Amino acid sequence: MTQYILRRLLLMIPVAFLVTVGIFVLVRLAPGDPVLTYAGENNDPVTIAYIRAQLGLDQPLPIQYAAWLSKALQGDLGRSLQTKQRVVEAIGERLPATLELGAAAILISVVVALVVGTLSALKRNSVLDLVTTSVTLAGVSFPNFFLGLILILVFAFVVPGHLFPPGGYVAFVADPGDNLRRLVLPAITLATASLAVNMRQVRSSLIDVFGLDYMRTARAKGLHEGAVIARHALKNALIPVVTIIGIQIGAIIEGAFITETIFFWPGVGRLAVQAIPSQDYPIVQGVVLISALSFMFSTLLVDVLYAVLDPRISFGAAEA
Amino acid sequence: MTLRVRALAFLALIAVLATACAGSPTPGGGTGASAAPAAAKVAYGGTVTFAMNSDITDMDPMQSGLFVDRHLMYAMYDSLVRVTPKGDIIPWLAEKWTVSPDGKSYTFNLKTGVKYHDGSAFDAESVKWNLDRYRLTKDSRRTGELAPVDTVTVVDPATVKVDLKTPFAPFLSQLIDRSGMMVSRKAVEAGGADFTRKAFKAGTGPFILTEAVKDDHYTFEKNPDWWGKAANGDKLPYLDKVIIKPITDGSVRLTNVLTGQVQATNAITGKDVPSVKANPDFVYQEIAGLGYNSMYPNRSKGFLFEEGRYVKAVSIALDRDEILAKGPAQGVGTVGYGPIAPSHSAFDPNFKPFAKPDIAGAKKLVADVGKGPLKFEMLVSSGDAGTLQLAQLIQSQLAKADITMDIKTLLFNEIVKLQNDHKHTGLTLINWSGRTDPDGNVYDFVYTGRPNNNSAYSNKEVDKLLDDSRTATDNAKRKDLLLKAQQIFVVDDPALIWYSYQAAQLLTAKNVQGFAVFPDQLPRFETVSLKK
Repeated sequence: MTQYILRRLLLMIPVAFLVTVGIFVLVRLAPGDPVLTYAGENNDPVTIAYIRAQLGLDQPLPIQYAAWLSKALQGDLGRSLQTKQRVVEAIGERLPATLELGAAAILISVVVALVVGTLSALKRNSVLDLVTTSVTLAGVSFPNFFLGLILILVFAFVVPGHLFPPGGYVAFVADPGDNLRRLVLPAITLATASLAVNMRQVRSSLIDVFGLDYMRTARAKGLHEGAVIARHALKNALIPVVTIIGIQIGAIIEGAFITETIFFWPGVGRLAVQAIPSQDYPIVQGVVLISALSFMFSTLLVDVLYAVLDPRISFGAAEA
Repeated sequence: MTLRVRALAFLALIAVLATACAGSPTPGGGTGASAAPAAAKVAYGGTVTFAMNSDITDMDPMQSGLFVDRHLMYAMYDSLVRVTPKGDIIPWLAEKWTVSPDGKSYTFNLKTGVKYHDGSAFDAESVKWNLDRYRLTKDSRRTGELAPVDTVTVVDPATVKVDLKTPFAPFLSQLIDRSGMMVSRKAVEAGGADFTRKAFKAGTGPFILTEAVKDDHYTFEKNPDWWGKAANGDKLPYLDKVIIKPITDGSVRLTNVLTGQVQATNAITGKDVPSVKANPDFVYQEIAGLGYNSMYPNRSKGFLFEEGRYVKAVSIALDRDEILAKGPAQGVGTVGYGPIAPSHSAFDPNFKPFAKPDIAGAKKLVADVGKGPLKFEMLVSSGDAGTLQLAQLIQSQLAKADITMDIKTLLFNEIVKLQNDHKHTGLTLINWSGRTDPDGNVYDFVYTGRPNNNSAYSNKEVDKLLDDSRTATDNAKRKDLLLKAQQIFVVDDPALIWYSYQAAQLLTAKNVQGFAVFPDQLPRFETVSLKK
């Protein structure tokens, strides 16, 4: 197992390298000139040329990349072209907000999916199953920018008492109550699409498992139905669900792009949304790199979890 | 020679008058405070949260290139001079000033006893350091505004003299905003590269920046030692705290105001204006702004709009009333024809060259060119539904004059680059936030070879009139020269196509008082208070 993890970690290096090359080239392929945008109202050619040289954007692309990579390897992802903030610091400042939102969304998504998905699988073709299927479909089809706006309007003007504020962020350490109040609407918005997918996955996996022999055996042993589902069915049905959730954890950063913008939640997604149109190369590269790394680590975590959930799955020596 | 002597004598007279006008600061210098309604007893304390429509990029007045940055700066920094809502330049950190007879030398008498938030002293040395930093630092965004400055000299700790290379009438107006904002040298040097977004304790202004969380909020606390006083003698500011938040989505911004999360904003979309006006819990103010909305043709050689008659054909075919009423502005603002806005002293309310669309005239101009029907493309920034709607409206108006306008959607940055390189083939839509002096709305946009002259316009007569307007210190003469130039670059040989002037808006909760709306659209918090 340790060897397997080490091998996977080593494999991440070339993947991360390819990701950096890809994003470095892609952001520069977009038409436009970031220096013009930063010069703003002062279009003086002398100033513009000076800024371009200072940022190193007058150098050939391979040299720019080499300079960036050598610093990146030392943990310095450069400074934002627009705000001059260190990219590592900019991402670091926003990561807690994104992680909090992502964790809350995944928690909502997983808990609701497990409960409703299980009930739906148990009562196949019942009214409950039909309702959850419809809600699931609506959840997948509803774009989250629309759902976010609807939730804001409903809690601002329909539900009395302004229970959940229309956006904004207060750090948990500053005011835990206010932090959680502000978290509810964006977390629901972000959770909805993945909730639908997870619920369907739990339902169909359970239905598959229900038909297997060992389930009959478990029931024949006289086990309580609750124990049959929790101990035998769910544990096996969870493997595909874990895969999907693993991917969703990896996708927290880019998943939050729109939600963070609507609710002015100061996370990494919002940082990227502002950086992309203004061609803030170092920020975009930094966010993509962190996002790619989080994907790689979450898939590794999923693979490790497979072994925990299903002892038949093993890594390393046995394969040889 | 005789003419020169006369001109000098005239300038001397103006200088004397200028000195007389400038030499009487109001108590505490806070004439801006008189904008606050005269309330009998104004309560101190409380917090006001203000929403702006996007986040700032830079707090350093030297580096700032975006309009939105200035939202924070008026709270934390003081400038040498300021402006009233009516556009009059008033003493601020400079208590008074004198102008030499030749109009080339300005001597400022500074307020004494003023300290930056970090405790360092504000004095003539500090003014010299700031002005030299703005005009001589290589990547400064202020070099253009202060280009006429030759030297800055410390006369004594409370007096500083600025010598210009040539007389420059708009000079004082440049010192109202970022070029005149005074920043603590100690704070700048300590901040280093981070000063641009962590300018803590850097100004002398009414509020001290204490917290800056990018994309979320900026917190300002009352500067208890601020020098300003209200018209009724109250020590300013009234509020304990100001929080400024960027909220990009218009509906979300308004919802935050309506639910009490935010008490004021200066960005209300046109469609929401009727409902907020009718809401008794809020006060909506709207006055004429300084900015304009326009279209840039590319008048470079070899491009379609090198032909001035085509530009004029498009300009006269437009129904500007309809654009204002049915476009994204939804009636907010006023119909406009040139860059000199209603809140400028040089504005001519009778200048209405294209009051009604002239379809027949447009067709005739195109026919006179004799190269068949006019067809071109309009570049529209992607992801901006309002601009696209506006372009479609213009497209339908031009179709009536048999002018075909194709709409092409590109990234905003790409449009900026094409424009800057003078490579766009047709028109682009560009707005300008405006400057207090009309020169800031005109010179850089139509003078031959200037950096912001994105339509590559060149007209020697216009250049001459604008140069003369810069050296003329008599306001009436300046107005005359600017209006003569405007007649040429709007009507006779059009440089751009202007279609409306922007409005300055302010929406506040009913319990917020003393919040005046200024033509530059920027909030001033020193006179704001909360009704108890």
